[in-house]
Amino acid sequence: MKIMVNGVPHETDAGRDDPVVDVLRDGLGLTGAKAACRTGVCGACTIAVDGTPQASCLLPAAAVEGRAVTTAEGLDHPVQRAFAAHDGLQCGYCTPGFVVEAAAFVDAWRAEHGDVTPPRDRIAAALAGHLCRCGAYAGIYAAVEAACRGEHDGEAAAPARVEAMEKITGHARYTTDVRLDGQLEGAIIRSAQAHARVTSVEVDHAHVVDLLPPDRIVRYVGQPIAAVTAPTRQEVLAIAESARIGYEPLPAALDDAPDAPPVYDEQSRKHAPSSSEGLTLPGGWNGNVRGPFSGVSRRSRTAVNRIEAARRRADPLLVTGTFSTAVQVHTPLEPHACVARWDERGDLHLYLSTQTVALAAEQAAKRWKLDASRVHVVADHVGGGFGAKSGITVEAVAAVELARLCRAPVRVVLSRAEELTDAGSRPGSRTRIALLADGGGELSALAMDVHGRGGVAIGSSAALLARLMYGTAPRRLRDFDIVTNEPPGTPFRGPGAPPMLWALEQAVDEMAHRLDEDPIVLRRRWDGNPKRHALYDWAAALPIWRDRPRTGSRSGRFRRGVGVAAANWMYLVAPATKVELEVEGDTVVARTATQDIGTGARTVIAGVLAEELGLPADRIRVEIGRSGFVPGPPALGSRTTASVAPAARDAARLLRAQGLRPGAKVVGRRRGDRGGYLTPFPVHGMALGRGFSGAVHVTEVEVDTRLGTIRPLRVWGGIAAGRIYAERPARNQCEGGIIQGLGYALYEERRTDPVTGTVLTAGLDDYHIPGIGDTPEMTIHFHQDGWEHVNGHGVGLGEVSTVGVAASVANAVHNATGWRPHDLPIRPDRLLEGISR
Amino acid sequence: MTVPTDLLPADLLLAARDGEPRAGGTDLMSRPAAGPHVDLTGLRDLPGMSGITWQPDGSAHIGALTTIADLARDARLRAAYPALALTAQALATPQIRAVATVGGNLLQRNRCRYYRNPAFTCHQNGGNSCPARAGDTLYAAVIDTGPCLAPHPSSLAMALLTYDASVQVHDRGPLPIASLYGDGSDPSRDHLLDPGELLLAIHLPPPVAGERAAYHRATGRSEAEWPLVEAVARVVLDGTRISHAAVGAGGVARVPLRLGEVEEAVLAGEPFTAAAALTAARCTPASGNAYKVTLLAGTVLEVLEQAAGTSAS
Ligand SMILES: Cc1cc2nc3c(=O)[nH]c(=O)nc-3n(C[C@H](O)[C@H](O)[C@H](O)COP(=O)(O)OP(=O)(O)OC[C@H]3O[C@@H](n4cnc5c(N)ncnc54)[C@H](O)[C@@H]3O)c2cc1C
Ligand code: SF4
Ligand code: FES
Ligand code: FES
Repeated sequence: MKIMVNGVPHETDAGRDDPVVDVLRDGLGLTGAKAACRTGVCGACTIAVDGTPQASCLLPAAAVEGRAVTTAEGLDHPVQRAFAAHDGLQCGYCTPGFVVEAAAFVDAWRAEHGDVTPPRDRIAAALAGHLCRCGAYAGIYAAVEAACRGEHDGEAAAPARVEAMEKITGHARYTTDVRLDGQLEGAIIRSAQAHARVTSVEVDHAHVVDLLPPDRIVRYVGQPIAAVTAPTRQEVLAIAESARIGYEPLPAALDDAPDAPPVYDEQSRKHAPSSSEGLTLPGGWNGNVRGPFSGVSRRSRTAVNRIEAARRRADPLLVTGTFSTAVQVHTPLEPHACVARWDERGDLHLYLSTQTVALAAEQAAKRWKLDASRVHVVADHVGGGFGAKSGITVEAVAAVELARLCRAPVRVVLSRAEELTDAGSRPGSRTRIALLADGGGELSALAMDVHGRGGVAIGSSAALLARLMYGTAPRRLRDFDIVTNEPPGTPFRGPGAPPMLWALEQAVDEMAHRLDEDPIVLRRRWDGNPKRHALYDWAAALPIWRDRPRTGSRSGRFRRGVGVAAANWMYLVAPATKVELEVEGDTVVARTATQDIGTGARTVIAGVLAEELGLPADRIRVEIGRSGFVPGPPALGSRTTASVAPAARDAARLLRAQGLRPGAKVVGRRRGDRGGYLTPFPVHGMALGRGFSGAVHVTEVEVDTRLGTIRPLRVWGGIAAGRIYAERPARNQCEGGIIQGLGYALYEERRTDPVTGTVLTAGLDDYHIPGIGDTPEMTIHFHQDGWEHVNGHGVGLGEVSTVGVAASVANAVHNATGWRPHDLPIRPDRLLEGISR
Repeated sequence: MTVPTDLLPADLLLAARDGEPRAGGTDLMSRPAAGPHVDLTGLRDLPGMSGITWQPDGSAHIGALTTIADLARDARLRAAYPALALTAQALATPQIRAVATVGGNLLQRNRCRYYRNPAFTCHQNGGNSCPARAGDTLYAAVIDTGPCLAPHPSSLAMALLTYDASVQVHDRGPLPIASLYGDGSDPSRDHLLDPGELLLAIHLPPPVAGERAAYHRATGRSEAEWPLVEAVARVVLDGTRISHAAVGAGGVARVPLRLGEVEEAVLAGEPFTAAAALTAARCTPASGNAYKVTLLAGTVLEVLEQAAGTSAS
């Protein structure tokens, strides 16, 4: 069959029914179009066929026979330059699809209307078939608008992030795009049972890798059992599907009923996975309930006594409630993926979609008993992570073992269904909260019991985080896990904080209501954090806040409301971080073993170097995403910027002292902070620094009381994280944080079948992440003072910028309707029921 | 007009019996097929198989292979059959509409999460049970007419129903569009054409002068989401009185619905709120979808108000 791609004629032997995306990627090596969902929902695979954008995952090869196909690689359009200038991307995995569609829209718009700005809803309708998990929609709107105005017809302006053009032209290579000579495809066979002992695994194929735990028990539907390979994806999927698994069923716990059968026995409990990022909190077991962990409580007896007394006297200043949150899935647009290759010398090469190149290399060396110098992890570009891509995960285990067995490179890429089932999720939760104020309106006591639901995983640590907010009043904070036979929770952007704040920030809002006090004034009084004080002052002065309606004063179908929520996060740093600089010709090359998952790590380093060395951008190159470079931080716990920026500056100063001669080479370190860290020595390479980052979100929503929808109209995000190193990518992070927080509040929910435990939200049409049309207008305000003790004066903001957003939405809904949503997501059915009461 | 069936290639008709026809492929490519794909796109050039042909009486003949994007952008269609054009414009996403065909839309399979998940078998794919019934019914049909609870997926079918459209199937005469779906009691399939039967075209009766129409879908997000409930209304106003009304709803039953009781009430001059509320009598909610009773009335009210131009904000 003949097809014309990007003006070049190709002959392909692809089957007529094969999806075009595979023909392009595997057949022709054009990997700009990504197969991210394969169900026509995400748009990452979009190509133009005779100028019309189409989803190539659902397009049979026969449909492009004799047609002219254009992919991002073949596009040369002003909108691409606009995406670069306006930072319409983070990780970039969705970008090739977006630009193909946006180019067609911009051309059609300009032809019909001239060079004028289109209304936002026109852009949203045109790009409705595209999803960006990073939430870079604000930049995308700005880029499309500017391109429609004809602002990018000429030369390219400076890109907002250094690797932008690579991503926008589809040339950036992600792990899913890697294709080595002789490479085989691997697939994972997964459990169809929620709880069973696997008695046999029969596969009509020579190469099978066992992935079962030592007790050979599967504890959730979707748990890996084995991995297989074949030359092509189609073949390997057929083999996996035809595998015959023998099960000896065990009773499964699919809910939190007290009489649910046990998920673990005393022995297997010890190997339960954890959804906590640091150390897992200690706790005893009672059936499937673990905990409580209450080690961070403060005068907990006093807190409980005060609350009990208040309850007895029906004190109106005792606010109580039960709040719940659904399981949220990370679902980065690039799925988990690994290509493993063993070379002749016995070295292991891993192309891995990871947030932790260094940690992955370390874990691989340990697991496969190799010297650290023999493991080489590569992650040039990573299509999002949000906490789900840490260390050696199952796709890497499968790829490495299969590669060894087959003596050939093996690629394992998770399907979207696998990604949505068993590749990372934020545990669900149920929180009982009691908050008591005294006669003077001061916080008198707080009690919070959080039951985390992370499936087979333990490690919920939500209540714990309430220790760090609102002063030193007595409080009892207890964390529990309820384990079930469902897929494990994992750390997710600000682990524990969104469910904690969902309850706490609504309870505080309710208290302000009871005290008939401005919720910002109340928070300002209770909150001792001076940086957040500055944010409260900023928020209180916003016209939208000053003019907000009185709660319950609205009637009519559409009701607008405004809500506020505060957030707090730790300042983490990787003290061992180094940055190496080498002068190659007239270019300064920076290297460190970190990676860019869309946060802009390259751009931060390049910016520091440009400033310190007084060099133009084209004389600086940043190389990251290799485990062999000098130590760099993992992209976890908002620590990358605070770690790499000071190390880059240190290196730049050393280089300046040495002189910028070709061949010169220096290594800069992340020197300590004034006053040191709170942790005396690093734990897992991480130190807890002094001070907390803060955020205050003010959200305006419009509630449609007829059809049950909530439209976020405008959001203001105030962030106190010190110095902002790269303004546009930082803002993009904060905007994306808002988008993910809105998704959490309104749409996202992993649902499982109550009978079998099978995840039902296994496609992006069923698991609802925010689209461009759900994007509010966003204003980000950076308060940059208060971090003078920190080397470089700036800390991370990836987590603090998202964790409180959902609570601000709930408070806005309450302001609009007088009804308080206790359960998240606030689906139309819940809203309709709530306001009808 | 009709599509000349004698021009249909015999080998294709034969192949269609053991395979599954493929038009745009946007549904078929996303699920396991019932047999080998049988590419219909070669029929595009047969007279009447693709595009809109206007008849002397002003009515439209729509070829089964017409894309949804072509329906949505046709100015004459928008003027003559606004409810159909509005529906076409609102469904799926631009990339899908560019490829998906009208025929494929009418004959697509349902979106029940159990049916689409290879972990389950059910009435729709060779099994004899419905795991959704005992499981998650959040999105299930709220009008229960039989073993299967999957709402019918076709937005266009709902709109065409309000026009009393008919369809041409290759070895049969013209059929009313409702007969493609029956009463919803057959849980094993989403349309009643037998394997090998090809849908060739859709015929619409002549346009009604002065028609005003509206389409609306209730969803959580603003774009690109399968509707919880969707509805269309077509009305003709005679002063402030409604002289003609047709109302359809989707997302609530095994088949696309025509809401006769609402039409009658509206024609009798009942307030829209009362007319829309009549839909509750049809509903038989499952454990998780009682909200659809409210949403159905709300969505019907929405389209009535929009069509009549009386929507309040
Ligand atoms: C993200 C997304 C959102 C969507 N949202 C909506 C929505 O809101 N409303 C809605 O209605 N649809 C929606 N759809 C579905 C979409 O409209 C259908 O997939 C499309 O209309 C099917 O048309 P097709 O030509 O691609 O059909 P195909 O995939 O080619 O075929 C579909 C079925 O019809 C059969 N078939 C097709 N043509 C004929 C024929 N002429 N004769 C006999 N059998 C035939 C095929 O055998 C197959 O079983 C959505 C789809 C996606 C991917
Ligand atoms: S509702 Fe219908 S499609 Fe869904 S599982 Fe039941 S029988 Fe199958
Ligand atoms: S991969 Fe094609 S739309 Fe998502
Ligand atoms: S930038 Fe869009 S998915 Fe990451």
